[in-house]
Amino acid sequence: MTSQGSDPDEALLADVGRGDPRAVRQLLDRRLPRILALARRMLNDSGEAEDVAQETFLRAWKQARSWQPGAARFDTWLHRVALNLCRDRLRRRRDVVMAEPPEQADPGPRPDAGVLGREVSHRVEAALAALPARQREAIVLCHHQGLGNIEAAALMQVSVEALEGLLGRGRRALKAALADLTRDAG
Amino acid sequence: MSEMSLSRDRFLALAEAYGGDIARWPEPEREAARALLLQDPQGLGHHLEAAAALDRLLDLAPAGAVDAALLGRLVSTAPRPAASARRWIAGLGAALGLGVSAMAGVTVGVVLAGHDREDLSADALIAATVDGGDSADSLEEPAAS
Repeated sequence: MTSQGSDPDEALLADVGRGDPRAVRQLLDRRLPRILALARRMLNDSGEAEDVAQETFLRAWKQARSWQPGAARFDTWLHRVALNLCRDRLRRRRDVVMAEPPEQADPGPRPDAGVLGREVSHRVEAALAALPARQREAIVLCHHQGLGNIEAAALMQVSVEALEGLLGRGRRALKAALADLTRDAG
Repeated sequence: MSEMSLSRDRFLALAEAYGGDIARWPEPEREAARALLLQDPQGLGHHLEAAAALDRLLDLAPAGAVDAALLGRLVSTAPRPAASARRWIAGLGAALGLGVSAMAGVTVGVVLAGHDREDLSADALIAATVDGGDSADSLEEPAAS
């Protein structure tokens, strides 16, 4: 969970830089779903998530020819770019939210609570979206993206201890918001 | 290497932060955590299971599916082979084209040598010169009729 190791994308990225269309497709197959998922869970908006994923890879294409191996893993670099784009969008949302508050999904239990599938998925999504941005970021990076604590802390520019604090507070809030569901899931 | 010890409080803090799967906890603390769990499988196991229940719910947060249009846009904007490589490929294509044309020309010449020119239609001659690979057939048909 904590080791960075060698970069599994290094050779593929070199081929992308040389314009190999098969490498482009392979890299997208490998990394695009991860970046899209990161943006989707950070922004709670599929359209904006697509925009972020697209912008992230457009920047990656520019980097591909001049990529310096050893500086950072490509996956980490992608996460950093995507996270910054998400943060920009969240900041812009905060700037306009005072004028016209957007409709938000109700994170509380519904009369038909207990229905599985999409209903539960929406509840979880809404609870995640209701978290403070830094707590959500910590949970998405560590739980959903599967990053190690050192890597996630570095991306968030906090200490590992601070990351654990964010994770703990975030998960406690989620547990409270989804208490009826965690009992079912347990 | 001496085994690292772990307090119960730290175990609970790790479960609260990283969830119910010890394999996803920080690597240096996993072994000690498993050892502690063996000492109190019921008490600590209960906390792990509660954390795992939240993990399972978190997994249900929509991840979004990759849309074909997005994939198409990204593929179309990806780096292309360098200009020199493209020129080389274009040159190879042109050379192959010339070769095919030359082959077609030779074929026409050979066939014409064996047939009376007046037996060949103008269409067959054009087809033989342009189509290359089909030239022999195109020439043979009118000659045989």
